[in-house]
Amino acid sequence: MKLKQGSFLWYLYLDKLYCLLSVRNVKALLEYFHLLDVHHNNTLNDVLFYHFLRHVTSWKRTQIMIVFNMLDWNAMGEIGFDQFYMLVCILLAQQNHLEEQFIFRHSRPVFELLDLDGELRIGADHFHMYNFLFNIKKQELRELYHDFDITGDRRLNYKEFKLFTIFTMDKYQEKQKAEKEQGKTAPLKKKRPHRFILSSKLF
Amino acid sequence: MEEKPFRAPLGSRDSDDSSPDNDTRNLWTRATLSQPKLNVPRSKICDDSDAEGSSLGSKTRRGYSRKAGRESGGGWEEREDGEDKVGCRPGDLHGHLSLEMELRRGSILGSHLEEDVDSKTETEVSSSESWLSMSRHTPHGAYWIEQQNRLPLPLMEVVENEALEILTKALWSEDGPDHFLTKHLQRYIEGLKRRRSKRLHLVMY
Repeated sequence: MKLKQGSFLWYLYLDKLYCLLSVRNVKALLEYFHLLDVHHNNTLNDVLFYHFLRHVTSWKRTQIMIVFNMLDWNAMGEIGFDQFYMLVCILLAQQNHLEEQFIFRHSRPVFELLDLDGELRIGADHFHMYNFLFNIKKQELRELYHDFDITGDRRLNYKEFKLFTIFTMDKYQEKQKAEKEQGKTAPLKKKRPHRFILSSKLF
Repeated sequence: MEEKPFRAPLGSRDSDDSSPDNDTRNLWTRATLSQPKLNVPRSKICDDSDAEGSSLGSKTRRGYSRKAGRESGGGWEEREDGEDKVGCRPGDLHGHLSLEMELRRGSILGSHLEEDVDSKTETEVSSSESWLSMSRHTPHGAYWIEQQNRLPLPLMEVVENEALEILTKALWSEDGPDHFLTKHLQRYIEGLKRRRSKRLHLVMY
């Protein structure tokens, strides 16, 4: 998923440590929400929500309605600003490749969103339904349930889910470190041929 | 004292070769790189998450509120039951905020405006530069720098134009042209268009 370039959300960004918007960005987002709130209910109904996401993302209709049903946790057919804010944070986390960090920092609300039935357990099918939100691949999902389903009931409770977020966060940080080190050594390698060319021209 | 709005160029986000020093997002990146460990003290995370209004998902089914910041402090707790007891005091951060703002205002009034650059004295320039460098190294330096800038005015135009586009598409897709909600939407869109044309008219003259 990519946010539409030049759209309002495209200008926003998350704090990379806490994966939240700044106060200024939240203010601007609130203005945006109020502009979309046509009927002055402090909510967006399913039609407005659908057209908003269709405009700013590349998601299909089914994906948008899955997200709407996930966020409409009171089953009112409308979503308020709290849910809208959470959605925007998820979109920006995806846009900026901060999914692991986001799930780690906000493991409790993410767990509650995925726990559709309210059973304090997440089944693999629910996780799979929302993998487009957090970019979790099928293979990773299989490994997740294999490695972290400690109780063996083929579902994850909150503790198991939290362990998973800690593990993926560690992996993500190691990957970043490795990339950083690669970035440091790469410019040194590039310089050598240049020096060689200069010296061959002189002599 | 009223801060003048700062006009950031709209195209500044377009290219990747914008100066890394000018992009606020890179300041956020540096701020996070300076804090590599996850074991940030709980009170610190608590204050910061409160300041950011981190009521992410505050009305979820389990009544979660502002626990994410504390949980991210390296440890995690079981929360199968009850409400969390927030030990953070937003008032402390607010006091810190206002003190910082007063200190900064005295030395760098309008330092971010292009028109004032020429009239700045050397002492002001040096103080603003030293403040800028200091703020980058102080905790949440990027946050303080951001607070000095207003939202760029073109951004509000982008917001309104985009909202108008979305609502117009929603109107075209409505099946019931005589439904009161459709009519309400139509009137709202017309009101937005009138407001926009008035504003453009004022800008031109």
